[in-house]
Amino acid sequence: MSDVDAIAAQCVTCCGESLDLLAGRAVFWAARRALLLADWHLGKSGVFGRRGLAIPGGDVDADLERLQTMIDRLDIASIWVLGDLMHAPPVAADDWPERVAQFLLANPTVQMAVVAGNHDRVQREHLPASLGQLIDWYTGPVDIGPFRLDHEPDSVAGRFVIAGHLHPTRRLVLGADRLRAPAFWFRRQYAVLPAFGSFTGGHNIRPSGDDRVFVAGPDSVIEVSRR
Amino acid sequence: MTRIAERRIDAWFAAQGWQVFAFQRKAWTAFAQGQSGLIHSPTGSGKTLAAWLGPLQQYGGEPGNGLRVLWITPLRALANDTCNNMQRAADALGSPWQVGVRTGDTNASARARQRRKPPEALITTPESLSVLLSYADGGKLFRHLDAVIVDEWHELIGSKRGVQLELCLARLRTLRPALSVWGLSATLANLDQAMTALCGRADRAVLIEGEARKDIVIDTLLPKSLEQFPWAGRLGLALLESVVAQISAANSTLVFTNTRAQAELWFEALLQARGDWLGRIALHHGSIDRKLRQRIEQGLRDGELLAVVCTSSLDLGVDFAPVDQVMQIGSPKGVARLLQRAGRSGHQPGAVSRVVCVPTYALELVEIVAARKAWQARDIEAREPLRRSLDVLSQHLVTIALGGGFDQEQMLDEVRSTYAFAELGDAQWHWCLDFITRGGQALSGYPQFQRVVAEDGVMRMTERRLSRQHRMSIGTIASDTAMRVKWLSGGSLGTIEESFVSRLDKGDRFLFAGRLVELVQVRDMTAFVRRAKRGKKAVPRWQGGRMPLSTQLADSMLRVLERFADGAPDDPELVVLAPLLSHQASVSRLPSPGSLLVECCSTREGHSVFVYPFAGRLVHEGLATLVAWRIAQQSPRTFTLSVNDYGFELLSADPIEVTEQAVRGWLSQRDLIEHLVAGINLGEAAKRQFRDIARIAGLVFSGYPGSGKSTRQIQASSGLIYDVLQRYDEDNLLLGQAAREVLEAQLETRRMEATLSRLAQYSVTIIETQRLSPFAFPLWAERLQSQIMSNETWQARVARMAERLNGASDDAVKVAT
Repeated sequence: MSDVDAIAAQCVTCCGESLDLLAGRAVFWAARRALLLADWHLGKSGVFGRRGLAIPGGDVDADLERLQTMIDRLDIASIWVLGDLMHAPPVAADDWPERVAQFLLANPTVQMAVVAGNHDRVQREHLPASLGQLIDWYTGPVDIGPFRLDHEPDSVAGRFVIAGHLHPTRRLVLGADRLRAPAFWFRRQYAVLPAFGSFTGGHNIRPSGDDRVFVAGPDSVIEVSRR
Repeated sequence: MTRIAERRIDAWFAAQGWQVFAFQRKAWTAFAQGQSGLIHSPTGSGKTLAAWLGPLQQYGGEPGNGLRVLWITPLRALANDTCNNMQRAADALGSPWQVGVRTGDTNASARARQRRKPPEALITTPESLSVLLSYADGGKLFRHLDAVIVDEWHELIGSKRGVQLELCLARLRTLRPALSVWGLSATLANLDQAMTALCGRADRAVLIEGEARKDIVIDTLLPKSLEQFPWAGRLGLALLESVVAQISAANSTLVFTNTRAQAELWFEALLQARGDWLGRIALHHGSIDRKLRQRIEQGLRDGELLAVVCTSSLDLGVDFAPVDQVMQIGSPKGVARLLQRAGRSGHQPGAVSRVVCVPTYALELVEIVAARKAWQARDIEAREPLRRSLDVLSQHLVTIALGGGFDQEQMLDEVRSTYAFAELGDAQWHWCLDFITRGGQALSGYPQFQRVVAEDGVMRMTERRLSRQHRMSIGTIASDTAMRVKWLSGGSLGTIEESFVSRLDKGDRFLFAGRLVELVQVRDMTAFVRRAKRGKKAVPRWQGGRMPLSTQLADSMLRVLERFADGAPDDPELVVLAPLLSHQASVSRLPSPGSLLVECCSTREGHSVFVYPFAGRLVHEGLATLVAWRIAQQSPRTFTLSVNDYGFELLSADPIEVTEQAVRGWLSQRDLIEHLVAGINLGEAAKRQFRDIARIAGLVFSGYPGSGKSTRQIQASSGLIYDVLQRYDEDNLLLGQAAREVLEAQLETRRMEATLSRLAQYSVTIIETQRLSPFAFPLWAERLQSQIMSNETWQARVARMAERLNGASDDAVKVAT
């Protein structure tokens, strides 16, 4: 993914707000200079390695590079992680907390906030202090403008929820040609973001007729709703 | 050592009313001389006793002091019956030996008993043998082992299970250098190779031919008139009435189909035709719940079932004595396969095995004649053993590291003693060692990764959780991402491919396990269904089952067509088919050996080229893609491709220039693999192929049965792992293996190369047809499942798919195969 590719965008209007859905699997809310992403699952490959499954690391670097591109090219003041920042508490051998801390120190104009969600197993206490102190940590949903930022999608009266948790993907089929891509899933009362982390799986969604679905590809975001 | 006297065996045989066959005596003598070997003969001909009485006679006169004989079966459902037969022989000959069974189904207390006091003979599967070798005291269990007998070796040889078994046998030979290894096999074209792969050193092995096969009759249910018989299609319900009559006339019939979808539809159609057969006929295929399948098998054994509609799920297995008729719906695909199926009937002494073929469309009548001719000429397919499967080797090395550990150099010699790894390079070997110890190149900087560690020069695995995880993962049997299908009200129906369910919406209906059901919801990898009323329905498309026509059968077909052209159609099938073949000859030509037929036809849909290499579906898929890619190189365009076992079609909106020179260029052998790799989306195909490789090599862990959450942290799809490896560890040899397997197994590149070099010798006949010829018609009908080939971007593909979501009804996607 080149620099330009990560920020290739599709614009949607939601609750009167204009949101850019980025090919790099995040949402840019220009009016608030906010970048929204979900389900990074930092440290996942390390968990695999400790369990004898030979998965190489390197995903953290790719994710940070992608994030740096967005920061460089878009006017971002805050990064909101909508839950599942990490896959499991880091162990001493993991170097990702240090990498992420350095990344944040190198980008002092950007503040990172995490909406942990009620059900997150992994809390800020699990982070080394060097990283923990750089992050604003919310243990419950946060309301901004017409939106409620949360981890698990849900219908809430009077607010449109933006969430993650599901890792939505959409499977498309045409004859023998088939593909599966991370998806932004906009429903009547909430939107679900695709998982941001490179080493995350997905869950095929079954959109109903009113839903809008956008898939993120290597260099573009395309709407695949039924109309 | 007390031998059992030969006359005792003779007396027992005589008392049973049997006679000792020459090949049996030959096998016993060879065993007594310490030889290994391969016995090939048809099923039900006394192979089991030929193999078993060798060691039993030699050593069975006194208690064995431990395990003496291992009997390997590919099918755990076979184990109990085999055990009973072997025990009966031992008892009858006055041997004190006990025969036991050890499979994945054996419960913990039986296992513990076996470890305390092993039986003299143990029946097990390749997977369970690996598990036995993974115990630290595994060597102790085998310290008195004299013989290993591998049943149905022809079933294992072409698969990774065969590779796994080769490695286990090499290990047993290291533990017991004088070990005799015997195999039982159906007839194959490459018996010598099969024997070498099994017995290791060929100089001590002997090939023993069983009794000549009893005769096999290949009959056909002929359509009454050709006018009412379809030119294309796969269900063949046109002959339903005759099939019903045929089933009624026999005591018990096995109705073989080529795909699970076809089995579902035939079962439903039979019940529609004869409502009174409810409960008397059954449906059997690999996705149906195991308990239900076992009940059906018992019903067959007891003679309670009039007919069972089945797939290859009943190709193997114990003999169902009451079955007196076998039917084959649709193409026989291969000679060996048809013989195997025919052999499932006629087990009564002196009975002839007979198979009644049911063509599903007109040209299949030629295939049936071709199969008969090939059988008469004893022209039977080969099954090639696999080589250099590094995923299996990696798994085996961890197994042995767990089972007491290994010394690197000795292990390398042992591994290279197998047929599968005789040519294993040093670099590949070191890569495997690196992979199981440090996780490969990319993980070298991650000290937390510890699978196999060197202790005083011995490679071992000791960590308890990893050990348990590995034992759970032993095996190479392909597993799709299967979803359970359950009634909403409780009770399991079987499994279904996740990809099929993902294309269904709530309320959609589909046929499954012989019932019309409606999808209610999907939760935790389970599709919950309820009974549906009649209405529009889909039939699941399971993977597999689309095996290509064999080279033997395709060649035989061309000869049959040539003979017809020469005017000698004495076979009843050809007499019926004569008008259609004559029509082909008049509007075009009949395909024949020595000449490649190419037809061009322009229709409303565009410009079509039909090419008939007669090389089987998989080769044609590759060739169609190759030719489309080569044409598109000259002028960019989009093709629709259709393939079947006889040929392929390219359809384009723009005219295609067809000259002999152009055709020779399309089918040139130059840069074949490069062009193929460029033309097919190799990455996507390799990614799919990687699923099994990742599981076998221990890159994904599918979890403990019923463990749920505890392993969720380490769940990841093989596709994701493929992407990660591709990005950060591109030298990982398992990626290369996935690409190689796609080329060899999915595209049959070796057969493709052979086809192209054959076609280079052929003349080219180009015919312009006004309308579709009888050979072109089935290809045209295949278009529903056809693929599109063009040099499009991801964006363009998605845009087209999105259009489909809104345009054409989704039902088209869900049509049955």
